Amino acid sequence: MNDIATPISPASPNIAASTEAPIMTRPTGELVLEARNLDFSYGKTQSLFGVDLPVERNRITALIGPSGCGKSTLLRALNRIYDMYPGQHATGRILLNSEDILSDRGSLARLKARDGDVELNESGLDTSALRARIGMVFQKPTPFPMSIYDNVAFGVRLHQKKSKAEMDVIVERSLKRAALWDEVKDKLSASGLGLSGGQQQRLCVARGIAVEPEVLLLDEPASALDPVSTAKLEATLMELKKDFTIVIVTHNLQQAARISDHTGFMFLGKMIEFRPTAELFERPQSPRTRDYVTGRFG
Amino acid sequence: MDRALRRKLTNGIFVGACGLATFIALAALVLILWSLVKEGVGGIDANIFTMTQPAPGSPGGLKNAITGSILMCAGGMAIAIVVGILAGTWLAEYGGQTPYGHAVRFLNDVLLSAPSILIGLFVYEIMVAHLFGHFSGYAGALALALLAVPIVTRTTEDMLALQPNTLREAGMALGAGRGFVIRSIIWKAASAGLLTGGLLGFARISGETAPLLFTSLGNQFFSLNMAQPMASLPTTIFQFALSAYDDWRRLAWVGALLIAVAVLAVNTIGRLLARETHRP
Ligand SMILES: Nc1ncnc2c1ncn2[C@@H]1O[C@H](COP(=O)(O)OP(=O)(O)O)[C@@H](O)[C@H]1O
Ligand SMILES: [Mg+2]
Repeated sequence: MNDIATPISPASPNIAASTEAPIMTRPTGELVLEARNLDFSYGKTQSLFGVDLPVERNRITALIGPSGCGKSTLLRALNRIYDMYPGQHATGRILLNSEDILSDRGSLARLKARDGDVELNESGLDTSALRARIGMVFQKPTPFPMSIYDNVAFGVRLHQKKSKAEMDVIVERSLKRAALWDEVKDKLSASGLGLSGGQQQRLCVARGIAVEPEVLLLDEPASALDPVSTAKLEATLMELKKDFTIVIVTHNLQQAARISDHTGFMFLGKMIEFRPTAELFERPQSPRTRDYVTGRFG
Repeated sequence: MDRALRRKLTNGIFVGACGLATFIALAALVLILWSLVKEGVGGIDANIFTMTQPAPGSPGGLKNAITGSILMCAGGMAIAIVVGILAGTWLAEYGGQTPYGHAVRFLNDVLLSAPSILIGLFVYEIMVAHLFGHFSGYAGALALALLAVPIVTRTTEDMLALQPNTLREAGMALGAGRGFVIRSIIWKAASAGLLTGGLLGFARISGETAPLLFTSLGNQFFSLNMAQPMASLPTTIFQFALSAYDDWRRLAWVGALLIAVAVLAVNTIGRLLARETHRP
Protein backbone atom coordinates (compact mmCIF):
# COMPACT_ATOMS: atom_id res chain seq x y z
CA MET A 1 0.00 0.00 0.00
CA ASN A 2 2.81 2.28 0.94
CA ASP A 3 4.74 2.13 -2.31
CA ILE A 4 1.78 3.00 -4.50
CA ALA A 5 1.37 6.63 -5.34
CA THR A 6 -1.61 7.70 -3.29
CA PRO A 7 -2.96 11.16 -3.86
CA ILE A 8 -3.85 12.72 -0.52
CA SER A 9 -7.16 14.49 -0.60
CA PRO A 10 -6.86 18.19 0.15
CA ALA A 11 -8.20 19.44 3.44
CA SER A 12 -7.06 23.02 3.87
CA PRO A 13 -8.67 25.79 1.86
CA ASN A 14 -5.23 26.66 0.45
CA ILE A 15 -4.89 23.31 -1.15
CA ALA A 16 -8.52 23.08 -2.17
CA ALA A 17 -7.90 26.14 -4.30
CA SER A 18 -5.37 24.22 -6.35
CA THR A 19 -6.55 21.71 -8.86
CA GLU A 20 -3.82 19.17 -8.22
CA ALA A 21 -3.46 17.01 -5.16
CA PRO A 22 0.15 16.09 -4.33
CA ILE A 23 1.37 12.78 -5.66
CA MET A 24 3.08 11.06 -2.75
CA THR A 25 4.82 7.72 -2.47
CA ARG A 26 5.70 7.37 1.16
CA PRO A 27 9.03 5.65 1.84
CA THR A 28 8.72 2.12 3.15
CA GLY A 29 11.46 2.45 5.76
CA GLU A 30 11.48 4.18 9.12
CA LEU A 31 10.94 7.92 8.99
CA VAL A 32 13.33 10.00 11.04
CA LEU A 33 11.84 13.38 10.17
CA GLU A 34 8.48 14.30 8.76
CA ALA A 35 6.63 17.46 7.87
CA ARG A 36 2.87 17.26 7.66
CA ASN A 37 0.61 19.87 6.18
CA LEU A 38 3.19 22.56 6.79
CA ASP A 39 2.32 26.19 6.12
CA PHE A 40 4.98 28.88 6.35
CA SER A 41 4.74 32.67 6.16
CA TYR A 42 7.28 35.45 5.94
CA GLY A 43 5.19 38.07 7.68
CA LYS A 44 2.13 38.43 5.49
CA THR A 45 3.35 36.51 2.46
CA GLN A 46 2.74 32.80 2.68
CA SER A 47 5.48 30.70 1.09
CA LEU A 48 4.54 27.09 1.91
CA PHE A 49 1.07 25.65 1.50
CA GLY A 50 0.28 22.35 3.22
CA VAL A 51 3.60 20.72 2.43
CA ASP A 52 4.23 17.07 3.34
CA LEU A 53 7.76 15.71 3.47
CA PRO A 54 8.61 12.25 4.75
CA VAL A 55 12.35 11.71 5.33
CA GLU A 56 13.56 8.14 5.55
CA ARG A 57 16.44 7.23 7.86
CA ASN A 58 19.88 6.71 6.28
CA ARG A 59 18.70 7.87 2.90
CA ILE A 60 19.30 10.98 0.85
CA THR A 61 16.17 12.97 0.15
CA ALA A 62 16.45 15.61 -2.57
CA LEU A 63 14.24 18.66 -3.04
CA ILE A 64 14.04 20.11 -6.52
CA GLY A 65 11.98 22.83 -8.15
CA PRO A 66 12.31 26.25 -9.77
CA SER A 67 13.76 29.20 -7.85
CA GLY A 68 11.42 30.68 -5.30
CA CYS A 69 9.25 27.55 -4.97
CA GLY A 70 10.01 27.26 -1.26
CA LYS A 71 12.78 24.65 -1.02
CA SER A 72 14.97 26.74 1.26
CA THR A 73 11.94 27.80 3.25
CA LEU A 74 11.06 24.16 3.87
CA LEU A 75 14.57 23.37 5.10
CA ARG A 76 14.59 26.44 7.35
CA ALA A 77 11.32 25.30 8.86
CA LEU A 78 12.62 21.81 9.61
CA ASN A 79 15.29 22.92 12.10
CA ARG A 80 13.31 26.00 13.15
CA ILE A 81 16.09 28.40 12.23
CA TYR A 82 13.31 30.84 11.26
CA ASP A 83 12.62 31.23 15.00
CA MET A 84 15.26 33.96 15.12
CA TYR A 85 13.14 36.22 12.91
CA PRO A 86 10.05 37.50 14.73
CA GLY A 87 7.85 37.93 11.65
CA GLN A 88 8.24 34.39 10.30
CA HIS A 89 6.13 31.51 11.46
CA ALA A 90 5.09 28.00 10.57
CA THR A 91 1.99 25.98 11.33
CA GLY A 92 1.38 22.32 10.78
CA ARG A 93 3.30 19.43 12.20
CA ILE A 94 6.96 18.48 12.19
CA LEU A 95 7.92 15.17 13.73
CA LEU A 96 11.39 14.01 14.70
CA ASN A 97 11.36 10.29 15.50
CA SER A 98 7.57 10.51 15.75
CA GLU A 99 7.79 13.24 18.37
CA ASP A 100 6.30 16.64 17.68
CA ILE A 101 8.84 19.44 17.40
CA LEU A 102 6.26 21.80 15.91
CA SER A 103 2.55 21.61 16.39
CA ASP A 104 -0.45 23.78 17.10
CA ARG A 105 -4.07 23.08 17.92
CA GLY A 106 -5.44 24.58 14.70
CA SER A 107 -3.40 22.37 12.41
CA LEU A 108 -4.17 19.31 14.51
CA ALA A 109 -7.85 19.75 13.71
CA ARG A 110 -7.01 20.09 10.02
CA LEU A 111 -4.77 17.03 10.12
CA LYS A 112 -7.45 15.04 11.89
CA ALA A 113 -9.87 15.80 9.09
CA ARG A 114 -7.28 14.76 6.53
CA ASP A 115 -5.37 11.81 7.97
CA GLY A 116 -7.86 10.41 10.45
CA ASP A 117 -6.89 10.10 14.08
CA VAL A 118 -3.85 12.13 15.15
CA GLU A 119 -2.22 12.10 18.52
CA LEU A 120 0.09 14.78 19.82
CA ASN A 121 3.41 13.55 21.19
CA GLU A 122 5.39 16.59 22.31
CA SER A 123 9.15 16.03 22.19
CA GLY A 124 10.08 18.64 24.79
CA LEU A 125 13.36 19.46 23.02
CA ASP A 126 14.38 23.11 23.21
CA THR A 127 15.58 24.72 19.98
CA SER A 128 19.24 24.38 20.92
CA ALA A 129 18.95 20.63 21.52
CA LEU A 130 16.79 20.31 18.43
CA ARG A 131 19.42 21.94 16.23
CA ALA A 132 22.06 19.62 17.63
CA ARG A 133 20.00 16.80 16.13
CA ILE A 134 19.16 18.50 12.83
CA GLY A 135 22.28 20.11 11.35
CA MET A 136 22.38 22.53 8.43
CA VAL A 137 24.85 23.47 5.70
CA PHE A 138 24.20 26.62 3.72
CA GLN A 139 24.54 27.56 0.07
CA LYS A 140 27.51 29.85 0.61
CA PRO A 141 30.25 28.28 2.73
CA THR A 142 30.14 29.79 6.21
CA PRO A 143 33.43 29.02 7.95
CA PHE A 144 33.74 30.82 11.26
CA PRO A 145 36.66 33.25 11.70
CA MET A 146 38.70 30.79 13.75
CA SER A 147 41.00 27.83 13.23
CA ILE A 148 39.93 24.72 11.32
CA TYR A 149 40.06 22.78 14.59
CA ASP A 150 37.89 25.29 16.43
CA ASN A 151 35.41 25.37 13.56
CA VAL A 152 34.81 21.65 13.90
CA ALA A 153 34.84 21.75 17.70
CA PHE A 154 32.46 24.72 17.90
CA GLY A 155 29.19 22.82 18.01
CA VAL A 156 30.51 20.02 20.20
CA ARG A 157 31.70 22.51 22.82
CA LEU A 158 28.21 23.99 22.94
CA HIS A 159 26.61 20.76 24.00
CA GLN A 160 29.24 18.65 25.73
CA LYS A 161 32.25 19.02 27.96
CA LYS A 162 35.10 17.09 26.36
CA SER A 163 38.74 16.66 27.24
CA LYS A 164 41.36 17.80 24.74
CA ALA A 165 42.11 14.19 23.79
CA GLU A 166 38.44 13.37 23.24
CA MET A 167 38.00 16.52 21.19
CA ASP A 168 41.03 15.64 19.05
CA VAL A 169 39.37 12.32 18.24
CA ILE A 170 36.06 13.97 17.36
CA VAL A 171 37.71 16.59 15.15
CA GLU A 172 39.77 14.00 13.30
CA ARG A 173 36.82 11.65 12.80
CA SER A 174 34.56 14.45 11.56
CA LEU A 175 37.14 15.77 9.13
CA LYS A 176 37.77 12.24 7.85
CA ARG A 177 34.07 11.63 7.33
CA ALA A 178 33.81 14.90 5.45
CA ALA A 179 36.79 13.80 3.30
CA LEU A 180 38.81 16.83 4.32
CA TRP A 181 41.28 15.29 6.78
CA ASP A 182 44.10 14.58 4.32
CA GLU A 183 44.03 18.13 3.03
CA VAL A 184 44.08 19.88 6.41
CA LYS A 185 45.67 17.49 8.91
CA ASP A 186 48.93 19.48 8.94
CA LYS A 187 47.28 22.88 9.42
CA LEU A 188 44.47 22.37 11.91
CA SER A 189 45.38 25.60 13.67
CA ALA A 190 45.26 27.65 10.45
CA SER A 191 42.19 29.81 9.88
CA GLY A 192 39.21 28.14 8.23
CA LEU A 193 38.89 31.24 6.05
CA GLY A 194 42.08 30.30 4.19
CA LEU A 195 40.61 27.16 2.62
CA SER A 196 39.25 26.97 -0.93
CA GLY A 197 35.49 27.19 -1.47
CA GLY A 198 35.09 23.42 -1.80
CA GLN A 199 37.21 22.79 1.27
CA GLN A 200 35.26 25.40 3.22
CA GLN A 201 32.01 23.66 2.32
CA ARG A 202 33.36 20.29 3.46
CA LEU A 203 34.59 22.01 6.64
CA CYS A 204 31.00 23.14 7.21
CA VAL A 205 29.85 19.54 6.67
CA ALA A 206 32.46 18.34 9.18
CA ARG A 207 31.33 20.99 11.64
CA GLY A 208 27.72 19.92 11.18
CA ILE A 209 28.33 16.21 11.67
CA ALA A 210 30.75 16.66 14.61
CA VAL A 211 27.74 17.03 16.91
CA GLU A 212 26.38 13.71 15.58
CA PRO A 213 23.03 14.99 14.35
CA GLU A 214 20.46 12.56 13.06
CA VAL A 215 19.61 14.64 10.03
CA LEU A 216 21.80 16.94 7.96
CA LEU A 217 20.02 19.59 5.88
CA LEU A 218 21.96 20.99 2.92
CA ASP A 219 20.73 23.98 0.93
CA GLU A 220 22.30 23.94 -2.54
CA PRO A 221 25.68 23.10 -1.01
CA ALA A 222 27.42 22.73 -4.36
CA SER A 223 26.07 25.75 -6.19
CA ALA A 224 29.17 27.83 -5.44
CA LEU A 225 31.62 25.02 -6.20
CA ASP A 226 33.54 23.93 -9.28
CA PRO A 227 32.83 20.47 -10.81
CA VAL A 228 35.74 18.73 -9.08
CA SER A 229 34.76 20.05 -5.64
CA THR A 230 31.14 19.17 -6.40
CA ALA A 231 32.06 15.57 -7.23
CA LYS A 232 34.04 15.34 -3.98
CA LEU A 233 31.15 16.72 -1.98
CA GLU A 234 28.71 14.28 -3.60
CA ALA A 235 30.98 11.34 -2.83
CA THR A 236 31.18 12.57 0.76
CA LEU A 237 27.41 12.73 1.06
CA MET A 238 26.98 9.21 -0.38
CA GLU A 239 29.43 7.98 2.24
CA LEU A 240 27.72 9.92 5.03
CA LYS A 241 24.30 8.39 4.50
CA LYS A 242 25.53 5.26 6.29
CA ASP A 243 25.54 7.24 9.53
CA PHE A 244 23.24 10.14 8.88
CA THR A 245 20.06 11.06 7.10
CA ILE A 246 20.45 13.75 4.48
CA VAL A 247 18.03 16.22 2.97
CA ILE A 248 19.54 18.19 0.12
CA VAL A 249 18.13 21.05 -1.90
CA THR A 250 19.63 21.23 -5.35
CA HIS A 251 18.96 23.02 -8.61
CA ASN A 252 21.08 20.44 -10.36
CA LEU A 253 18.79 17.65 -11.57
CA GLN A 254 21.64 15.31 -12.47
CA GLN A 255 22.91 15.72 -8.95
CA ALA A 256 19.55 14.80 -7.46
CA ALA A 257 19.30 11.80 -9.79
CA ARG A 258 22.85 10.68 -9.00
CA ILE A 259 22.83 10.77 -5.23
CA SER A 260 19.31 10.75 -3.85
CA ASP A 261 16.94 7.93 -2.92
CA HIS A 262 13.78 10.02 -2.77
CA THR A 263 13.03 13.23 -4.57
CA GLY A 264 10.37 15.84 -3.93
CA PHE A 265 9.40 18.28 -6.66
CA MET A 266 8.06 21.56 -5.35
CA PHE A 267 6.28 24.30 -7.20
CA LEU A 268 4.88 27.61 -5.93
CA GLY A 269 5.13 26.58 -2.29
CA LYS A 270 3.53 23.17 -2.72
CA MET A 271 4.87 19.64 -2.83
CA ILE A 272 3.75 18.48 -6.24
CA GLU A 273 5.27 15.03 -6.39
CA PHE A 274 7.31 13.01 -3.89
CA ARG A 275 8.56 9.60 -5.00
CA PRO A 276 11.61 7.36 -5.21
CA THR A 277 14.17 9.21 -7.30
CA ALA A 278 14.37 6.81 -10.23
CA GLU A 279 10.59 6.71 -10.61
CA LEU A 280 10.20 10.45 -10.38
CA PHE A 281 12.80 11.08 -13.06
CA GLU A 282 11.81 8.24 -15.38
CA ARG A 283 8.04 8.27 -15.01
CA PRO A 284 6.94 11.60 -13.60
CA GLN A 285 3.21 11.58 -13.02
CA SER A 286 2.40 15.24 -12.71
CA PRO A 287 2.65 17.22 -15.96
CA ARG A 288 4.49 19.94 -14.05
CA THR A 289 7.11 17.49 -12.82
CA ARG A 290 7.46 16.08 -16.31
CA ASP A 291 8.03 19.54 -17.77
CA TYR A 292 10.58 20.36 -15.11
CA VAL A 293 12.66 17.17 -15.22
CA THR A 294 12.71 17.13 -19.00
CA GLY A 295 13.86 20.74 -19.05
CA ARG A 296 10.77 22.06 -20.74
CA PHE A 297 10.11 24.40 -17.91
CA GLY A 298 9.15 27.97 -18.76
CA MET B 1 31.25 74.51 -30.82
CA ASP B 2 30.55 70.87 -31.47
CA ARG B 3 29.39 68.57 -28.68
CA ALA B 4 32.39 66.29 -28.41
CA LEU B 5 34.70 69.25 -27.99
CA ARG B 6 32.45 70.87 -25.40
CA ARG B 7 32.26 67.63 -23.46
CA LYS B 8 36.03 67.31 -23.56
CA LEU B 9 36.40 70.87 -22.34
CA THR B 10 33.98 70.58 -19.38
CA ASN B 11 35.58 67.28 -18.51
CA GLY B 12 39.01 68.88 -18.55
CA ILE B 13 37.87 71.80 -16.39
CA PHE B 14 36.26 69.46 -13.88
CA VAL B 15 39.25 67.14 -13.60
CA GLY B 16 41.50 70.19 -13.30
CA ALA B 17 39.37 71.62 -10.46
CA CYS B 18 39.49 68.29 -8.65
CA GLY B 19 43.24 68.11 -9.05
CA LEU B 20 43.68 71.68 -7.78
CA ALA B 21 41.51 71.04 -4.74
CA THR B 22 43.46 67.88 -3.93
CA PHE B 23 46.69 69.81 -4.27
CA ILE B 24 45.50 72.57 -1.90
CA ALA B 25 44.39 70.05 0.71
CA LEU B 26 47.60 68.06 0.43
CA ALA B 27 49.77 71.18 0.47
CA ALA B 28 48.10 72.38 3.66
CA LEU B 29 48.67 68.98 5.28
CA VAL B 30 52.31 68.86 4.22
CA LEU B 31 52.89 72.40 5.44
CA ILE B 32 51.38 71.61 8.84
CA LEU B 33 53.42 68.44 9.23
CA TRP B 34 56.54 70.15 8.00
CA SER B 35 56.28 73.04 10.44
CA LEU B 36 55.48 70.55 13.23
CA VAL B 37 58.61 68.57 12.50
CA LYS B 38 60.77 71.63 11.89
CA GLU B 39 59.77 73.40 15.09
CA GLY B 40 59.23 70.30 17.21
CA VAL B 41 62.20 68.06 16.53
CA GLY B 42 64.68 70.76 17.47
CA GLY B 43 63.07 71.13 20.90
CA ILE B 44 63.28 67.48 21.87
CA ASP B 45 65.85 66.72 24.55
CA ALA B 46 66.14 64.27 27.43
CA ASN B 47 64.32 66.67 29.75
CA ILE B 48 61.03 66.36 27.81
CA PHE B 49 60.20 63.01 29.35
CA THR B 50 61.90 63.42 32.73
CA MET B 51 61.04 66.93 33.93
CA THR B 52 57.78 68.67 34.60
CA GLN B 53 56.82 71.97 33.08
CA PRO B 54 59.21 74.76 34.00
CA ALA B 55 58.87 78.35 35.08
CA PRO B 56 59.78 80.58 32.15
CA GLY B 57 63.52 80.65 31.69
CA SER B 58 64.38 77.49 33.65
CA PRO B 59 64.89 74.01 32.18
CA GLY B 60 61.91 71.67 32.09
CA GLY B 61 59.91 69.12 30.13
CA LEU B 62 56.43 67.74 29.57
CA LYS B 63 56.44 64.74 31.91
CA ASN B 64 53.33 65.88 33.81
CA ALA B 65 51.42 66.63 30.60
CA ILE B 66 52.41 63.38 28.91
CA THR B 67 51.36 61.17 31.84
CA GLY B 68 48.14 63.14 32.29
CA SER B 69 47.25 62.73 28.62
CA ILE B 70 48.03 59.01 28.67
CA LEU B 71 45.95 58.43 31.80
CA MET B 72 42.92 60.43 30.65
CA CYS B 73 43.00 59.08 27.07
CA ALA B 74 43.32 55.52 28.35
CA GLY B 75 40.49 56.03 30.83
CA GLY B 76 38.31 57.69 28.22
CA MET B 77 38.97 54.98 25.63
CA ALA B 78 38.29 52.20 28.14
CA ILE B 79 34.84 53.66 28.83
CA ALA B 80 34.21 54.46 25.16
CA ILE B 81 35.12 50.99 23.93
CA VAL B 82 32.94 49.17 26.44
CA VAL B 83 29.94 51.47 26.04
CA GLY B 84 30.38 52.00 22.30
CA ILE B 85 30.78 48.35 21.35
CA LEU B 86 27.85 47.27 23.50
CA ALA B 87 25.63 50.07 22.18
CA GLY B 88 26.67 49.44 18.57
CA THR B 89 26.04 45.72 19.01
CA TRP B 90 22.60 46.39 20.42
CA LEU B 91 21.77 48.66 17.47
CA ALA B 92 23.02 46.19 14.87
CA GLU B 93 21.85 42.91 16.39
CA TYR B 94 18.88 43.57 18.63
CA GLY B 95 16.89 46.77 18.85
CA GLY B 96 18.12 48.82 15.89
CA GLN B 97 14.82 48.66 14.03
CA THR B 98 12.56 49.50 16.97
CA PRO B 99 11.41 53.10 17.53
CA TYR B 100 13.70 53.28 20.55
CA GLY B 101 16.54 51.99 18.39
CA HIS B 102 15.93 54.69 15.77
CA ALA B 103 15.89 57.33 18.53
CA VAL B 104 19.18 56.04 19.94
CA ARG B 105 20.81 56.06 16.51
CA PHE B 106 19.61 59.59 15.82
CA LEU B 107 20.87 60.91 19.15
CA ASN B 108 24.17 59.13 18.64
CA ASP B 109 24.56 60.87 15.28
CA VAL B 110 23.81 64.19 16.95
CA LEU B 111 26.47 63.49 19.58
CA LEU B 112 28.86 62.53 16.82
CA SER B 113 28.92 66.09 15.60
CA ALA B 114 28.36 67.88 18.92
CA PRO B 115 30.94 70.62 19.56
CA SER B 116 33.44 69.31 22.08
CA ILE B 117 33.16 72.46 24.17
CA LEU B 118 29.53 71.54 24.89
CA ILE B 119 30.60 68.13 26.13
CA GLY B 120 33.17 69.84 28.33
CA LEU B 121 30.56 72.18 29.79
CA PHE B 122 28.21 69.27 30.42
CA VAL B 123 30.81 67.30 32.35
CA TYR B 124 31.86 70.50 34.15
CA GLU B 125 28.32 71.04 35.37
CA ILE B 126 27.91 67.48 36.58
CA MET B 127 31.29 66.45 37.91
CA VAL B 128 33.24 69.63 38.58
CA ALA B 129 30.48 71.92 39.82
CA HIS B 130 28.46 69.33 41.70
CA LEU B 131 29.88 65.84 42.21
CA PHE B 132 33.54 66.59 43.05
CA GLY B 133 33.45 70.32 43.61
CA HIS B 134 36.79 70.70 41.84
CA PHE B 135 38.58 69.86 38.59
CA SER B 136 39.82 66.28 38.22
CA GLY B 137 41.39 63.76 35.88
CA TYR B 138 38.25 61.63 36.14
CA ALA B 139 36.15 64.48 34.78
CA GLY B 140 38.65 64.84 31.91
CA ALA B 141 38.49 61.13 31.12
CA LEU B 142 34.70 61.21 31.16
CA ALA B 143 34.57 64.18 28.79
CA LEU B 144 36.94 62.39 26.39
CA ALA B 145 34.87 59.21 26.69
CA LEU B 146 31.68 61.08 25.75
CA LEU B 147 33.45 62.34 22.63
CA ALA B 148 34.65 58.89 21.58
CA VAL B 149 31.53 56.85 22.44
CA PRO B 150 29.45 57.97 19.44
CA ILE B 151 32.29 57.19 17.04
CA VAL B 152 32.84 53.71 18.45
CA THR B 153 29.07 53.07 18.54
CA ARG B 154 28.57 54.11 14.95
CA THR B 155 31.54 52.17 13.60
CA THR B 156 30.58 49.07 15.57
CA GLU B 157 27.04 49.13 14.22
CA ASP B 158 28.22 49.60 10.63
CA MET B 159 30.83 46.86 10.88
CA LEU B 160 28.45 44.32 12.43
CA ALA B 161 25.81 45.11 9.83
CA LEU B 162 28.34 44.12 7.16
CA GLN B 163 28.59 40.57 8.50
CA PRO B 164 26.43 38.19 6.44
CA ASN B 165 23.28 36.81 8.06
CA THR B 166 24.18 33.27 7.05
CA LEU B 167 27.12 33.47 9.47
CA ARG B 168 24.69 34.12 12.33
CA GLU B 169 22.37 31.39 11.08
CA ALA B 170 25.24 28.93 10.76
CA GLY B 171 26.11 29.49 14.42
CA MET B 172 22.52 29.16 15.53
CA ALA B 173 22.01 26.08 13.35
CA LEU B 174 24.58 24.35 15.57
CA GLY B 175 22.46 25.17 18.61
CA ALA B 176 24.24 28.30 19.84
CA GLY B 177 22.20 31.12 21.33
CA ARG B 178 22.04 34.51 19.71
CA GLY B 179 24.28 36.23 22.25
CA PHE B 180 26.89 33.50 22.06
CA VAL B 181 26.97 33.70 18.27
CA ILE B 182 27.55 37.45 18.46
CA ARG B 183 30.32 37.20 21.04
CA SER B 184 32.18 34.23 19.61
CA ILE B 185 31.63 34.59 15.85
CA ILE B 186 30.35 37.98 14.79
CA TRP B 187 32.66 40.12 16.94
CA LYS B 188 35.58 38.02 15.76
CA ALA B 189 34.59 38.33 12.12
CA ALA B 190 34.28 42.10 12.55
CA SER B 191 37.33 42.54 14.77
CA ALA B 192 39.30 44.64 12.30
CA GLY B 193 36.32 46.98 11.93
CA LEU B 194 35.80 47.24 15.67
CA LEU B 195 39.47 48.11 16.07
CA THR B 196 39.08 50.82 13.43
CA GLY B 197 36.27 52.32 15.49
CA GLY B 198 38.54 52.45 18.52
CA LEU B 199 41.35 54.05 16.52
CA LEU B 200 39.02 56.69 15.09
CA GLY B 201 37.78 57.44 18.58
CA PHE B 202 41.33 57.78 19.87
CA ALA B 203 42.31 60.05 17.01
CA ARG B 204 39.34 62.25 17.82
CA ILE B 205 40.10 62.69 21.51
CA SER B 206 43.89 62.78 21.51
CA GLY B 207 44.10 66.46 20.60
CA GLU B 208 40.96 67.77 22.29
CA THR B 209 41.63 70.87 24.36
CA ALA B 210 38.36 72.62 25.12
CA PRO B 211 36.67 69.81 27.09
CA LEU B 212 39.82 69.31 29.18
CA LEU B 213 40.04 73.00 30.08
CA PHE B 214 36.63 72.68 31.71
CA THR B 215 37.22 69.37 33.41
CA SER B 216 40.81 68.45 34.26
CA LEU B 217 42.02 72.05 34.01
CA GLY B 218 45.76 71.35 34.16
CA ASN B 219 48.42 70.81 36.78
CA GLN B 220 51.95 72.11 36.76
CA PHE B 221 53.15 69.26 38.94
CA PHE B 222 53.54 65.59 38.16
CA SER B 223 50.50 63.66 39.45
CA LEU B 224 49.00 60.22 38.99
CA ASN B 225 45.97 61.03 41.10
CA MET B 226 42.98 61.24 38.78
CA ALA B 227 40.78 62.62 41.54
CA GLN B 228 42.80 65.84 41.38
CA PRO B 229 43.36 68.36 38.57
CA MET B 230 45.56 66.83 35.92
CA ALA B 231 47.89 68.16 33.26
CA SER B 232 47.52 67.18 29.61
CA LEU B 233 49.38 67.87 26.40
CA PRO B 234 46.62 69.85 24.67
CA THR B 235 45.99 72.21 27.60
CA THR B 236 49.74 72.67 28.10
CA ILE B 237 50.14 73.46 24.42
CA PHE B 238 47.27 75.93 24.68
CA GLN B 239 48.86 77.67 27.66
CA PHE B 240 52.45 77.65 26.34
CA ALA B 241 51.78 78.49 22.74
CA LEU B 242 49.99 81.69 23.70
CA SER B 243 52.73 82.73 26.12
CA ALA B 244 55.42 85.32 25.44
CA TYR B 245 58.31 83.01 26.42
CA ASP B 246 60.40 81.36 23.74
CA ASP B 247 61.19 78.24 25.80
CA TRP B 248 57.47 77.70 26.55
CA ARG B 249 56.60 78.06 22.89
CA ARG B 250 59.33 75.55 22.04
CA LEU B 251 57.73 73.05 24.48
CA ALA B 252 54.33 73.68 22.88
CA TRP B 253 55.73 72.62 19.50
CA VAL B 254 57.25 69.50 21.00
CA GLY B 255 53.91 68.64 22.62
CA ALA B 256 52.09 69.04 19.31
CA LEU B 257 54.63 66.81 17.59
CA LEU B 258 54.22 64.18 20.31
CA ILE B 259 50.45 64.07 19.80
CA ALA B 260 50.85 63.71 16.04
CA VAL B 261 53.40 60.93 16.46
CA ALA B 262 51.22 59.13 19.02
CA VAL B 263 48.17 59.16 16.74
CA LEU B 264 50.28 57.96 13.83
CA ALA B 265 51.89 55.20 15.90
CA VAL B 266 48.63 53.93 17.41
CA ASN B 267 46.99 53.87 13.98
CA THR B 268 49.89 52.06 12.35
CA ILE B 269 50.11 49.46 15.11
CA GLY B 270 46.34 48.97 14.99
CA ARG B 271 46.34 48.41 11.25
CA LEU B 272 49.22 45.96 11.48
CA LEU B 273 47.45 44.05 14.24
CA ALA B 274 44.22 43.94 12.25
CA ARG B 275 46.03 42.62 9.21
CA GLU B 276 47.88 40.04 11.30
CA THR B 277 44.77 38.61 12.98
CA HIS B 278 42.83 38.63 9.73
CA ARG B 279 45.36 36.90 7.56
CA PRO B 280 43.49 33.74 6.51
N1 LIG C 1 13.25 36.50 4.04
C1 LIG C 1 12.17 36.47 3.23
N2 LIG C 1 11.20 37.40 3.35
C2 LIG C 1 10.12 37.37 2.55
N3 LIG C 1 9.91 36.47 1.59
C3 LIG C 1 10.84 35.52 1.40
C4 LIG C 1 12.03 35.47 2.21
N4 LIG C 1 12.78 34.43 1.80
C5 LIG C 1 12.10 33.85 0.79
N5 LIG C 1 10.93 34.50 0.54
C6 LIG C 1 9.93 34.14 -0.45
O1 LIG C 1 9.50 32.84 -0.22
C7 LIG C 1 9.39 32.12 -1.44
C8 LIG C 1 10.21 30.86 -1.37
O2 LIG C 1 11.57 31.21 -1.31
P1 LIG C 1 12.72 30.15 -1.12
O3 LIG C 1 12.33 29.18 -0.09
O4 LIG C 1 13.98 30.89 -0.88
O5 LIG C 1 12.76 29.45 -2.55
P2 LIG C 1 13.84 28.46 -3.16
O6 LIG C 1 14.83 28.12 -2.11
O7 LIG C 1 13.04 27.29 -3.62
O8 LIG C 1 14.45 29.16 -4.33
C9 LIG C 1 9.82 33.07 -2.53
O9 LIG C 1 8.66 33.59 -3.14
C10 LIG C 1 10.55 34.16 -1.83
O10 LIG C 1 10.34 35.39 -2.46
MG1 LIG D 1 16.91 28.54 -2.04
